[in-house]
Amino acid sequence: MTGWRVPLTDIAMAEQDVQAVLDCLQSGWLTMGPRTQAFEQVLADYVGTPHAVAVSSGTAALHLALLAGGIGPGEEVIVPAFTFVASAAAARYVGAEPVLCDVHAANDFNIDPDDAARAITPRTRAIVVVHMCGYPADVEALRGLCDEHGLLLIEDCAQAIGAHVGSYSRQVGTIGDIGAFSFFSKKQLCVGEGGMVATADERLAARVRLLRSHAMTSGTWDRHRGHDPSYDVVDIGFNYRLDEPRAALGLSRLARLAEGIDNRRALVRAYRERLASLPGLELAFDELAVERSSHFGFPVLLRDRDARDRFREALKAQGIQTTWYPALHTFSEYRNRTPSGSLPHATQAAERHCVLPLSSTMDERALDVVVEAVRGALASA
Amino acid sequence: MPATDAFPEIPLFDLQLRPEDLRAVADTLRSGWLTLGPRTAEFERAFAEQLGARHAIAVSSCTAALHLAYLAAGVGPGDEVIVPSFTFVATAAAAVYCGARPVFAEIVSRERPSLDPQDVERRITPRTKAVCVVHYAGYAAAADTLRELCDARGIALIEDVAHAPSATLGGRKLGTWGLAGAFSFFSNKVLSVGEGGLVCTDSDEVAELARSRRSHAMTSGTWQRHRGCADTYDVTGLGFNYRTDEPHAALLLSRLGGLEADIACRRELTERYRGLLAQLEGIIVPFADADVAGSSCYVMPIMIEADARQAQVSARLRERGIQTSIFYPSIHRFSAYRERFGEQSLPITELASRTELTLPLYPHMTHADQDRVVAALAEALAR
Repeated sequence: MTGWRVPLTDIAMAEQDVQAVLDCLQSGWLTMGPRTQAFEQVLADYVGTPHAVAVSSGTAALHLALLAGGIGPGEEVIVPAFTFVASAAAARYVGAEPVLCDVHAANDFNIDPDDAARAITPRTRAIVVVHMCGYPADVEALRGLCDEHGLLLIEDCAQAIGAHVGSYSRQVGTIGDIGAFSFFSKKQLCVGEGGMVATADERLAARVRLLRSHAMTSGTWDRHRGHDPSYDVVDIGFNYRLDEPRAALGLSRLARLAEGIDNRRALVRAYRERLASLPGLELAFDELAVERSSHFGFPVLLRDRDARDRFREALKAQGIQTTWYPALHTFSEYRNRTPSGSLPHATQAAERHCVLPLSSTMDERALDVVVEAVRGALASA
Repeated sequence: MPATDAFPEIPLFDLQLRPEDLRAVADTLRSGWLTLGPRTAEFERAFAEQLGARHAIAVSSCTAALHLAYLAAGVGPGDEVIVPSFTFVATAAAAVYCGARPVFAEIVSRERPSLDPQDVERRITPRTKAVCVVHYAGYAAAADTLRELCDARGIALIEDVAHAPSATLGGRKLGTWGLAGAFSFFSNKVLSVGEGGLVCTDSDEVAELARSRRSHAMTSGTWQRHRGCADTYDVTGLGFNYRTDEPHAALLLSRLGGLEADIACRRELTERYRGLLAQLEGIIVPFADADVAGSSCYVMPIMIEADARQAQVSARLRERGIQTSIFYPSIHRFSAYRERFGEQSLPITELASRTELTLPLYPHMTHADQDRVVAALAEALAR
């Protein structure tokens, strides 16, 4: 179907994963039932959070996080410019304005707490910290900043489930007031479309649960079991439910998540060792970040945009699929939303990086193919 | 599970998947491609063809479909959308997502609990941007009259077809009467897969907007990039993640093949119910026998003639192992809507909400179980 020798990423479905979904389908109960509850419990244990609420996507998780946090029209949410568009779109769903700030450096894609601090105004209500490519951002500094200014700290963990945070020796998603996770098909833990909200705050968790299913005071499952036949609707809620087949798949795959992340990290270390001294190519992040990351993607940096584009073309010609993430302020829709007018590090990071193939089940042989192609691409550039 | 939480012996709805449905999902999972790919495209093509619409866009839920349909109709802050109150809350909530005000209109009667075009006409103001008609329980509302009414005033007609796949009005499929139709594939629906929905339309512009906003208004998707057709993307609007995924699309495509047979079973059971229920005193059976042939027969609603007996009858049936439900509590009476949009009186809708009971119905329901339901209902009504 596609001619890639090495695709950007790949999903290996184990036979027990398939069986888990089939068992669920055969049960005939497809929404908000025992499998979703079990998935939430196991997720909460894995992440180390008191409350996990499964939702339909990472986008939905961010939207519900901001709603539960009480963010609304006229308020501002600080978002790094180098992230997937959902991090900023979620602020707009609640009527707030996303204010873009810069990242650390071209080779450190995560939000710069100093630049975030400069973006704070009297209307600022929250900061969204994104753990790009699975590498944990400096949430400790941001936690301090948010506490000082009375701001909500939301962790966008869409790319970072299982990553560890600095001296807390805790997982991402547990330092902020709320963590938003994604189980999209390319993610370390994937179910197709899915997401999760994590929080230690019981009140926030209850809000998220309520708003996930149209703010109804009872669900289909409760009514099925003979509880109250009627219900009230107490807020403007949404349909952000995850269904049982997805929960079953997530539950089955979660058992192999840690192993998958370990494999990703081993591959990244092998990549780094073999690419370290190649002229014209720079590694992103440092060894400590590699240790703590859960490795959604493996980015490398080229000299500039032209070199990056030529590099990607050369790899494509070799059957190697790569990608890159545009910065938000370069999109038509977000062009005029930068207060300072310039975000040099985010611009550089976006223009210079290239993400190489990586997956939980990729092997050394595929890595050899990519490394050889990278050498060739650099030599011919 | 404690004994008090035991499942009902005769549930409100029940889903039985065929071996080929399971195989379709298993094949998709094993393929390793889980998002917006060939199976979604194939399902959309098949659904559009079966419906007779130019475009079908599969989304994550009917709520999402309604949101996209209203956006495509140009609904925005300060606008009004006329909707029935006798429907699931999503019909109105999706208007609120757009910043608009839902304006609730009456149903015709308890005998015909569908949106009343005359009441809709009375509620049209210069701010009315769209009317959403719900085909309650799978029975066609007056989409033809509403279409004329809307066309004459330049207002968009949106169809909430959550209950009514493959149902018709005057031989024409529901969902094809308005600017756009919003379908549901929620787990208790006629065509059910868990969570899912779909926007259908004949308008290229509506389809383009729905496709774009479904996936964050990105100019290319993962699948195109995987195939090497696109290198990067722009973001050209405020979009959402309203995507469905490939296992769900595969299940939908497989189940679509059994849809007409399922509906035929539902119609046969509905006709039988109607015959049995006609013998009972003290209830209204909405719609007419002649309406069944064009209906998808999603649920079997009855109205208890006397007020204030709904909870008692429902509880009595529950004691007999029979699950019932209320389709629907009035939206305008919900706390969230009273707080935001004020108190309103819709007497016919309110009476319908207070007296409606939905009886069990699913394609493989046995006649013996139907007899049990009717006998238990007769006994409960007589008390």
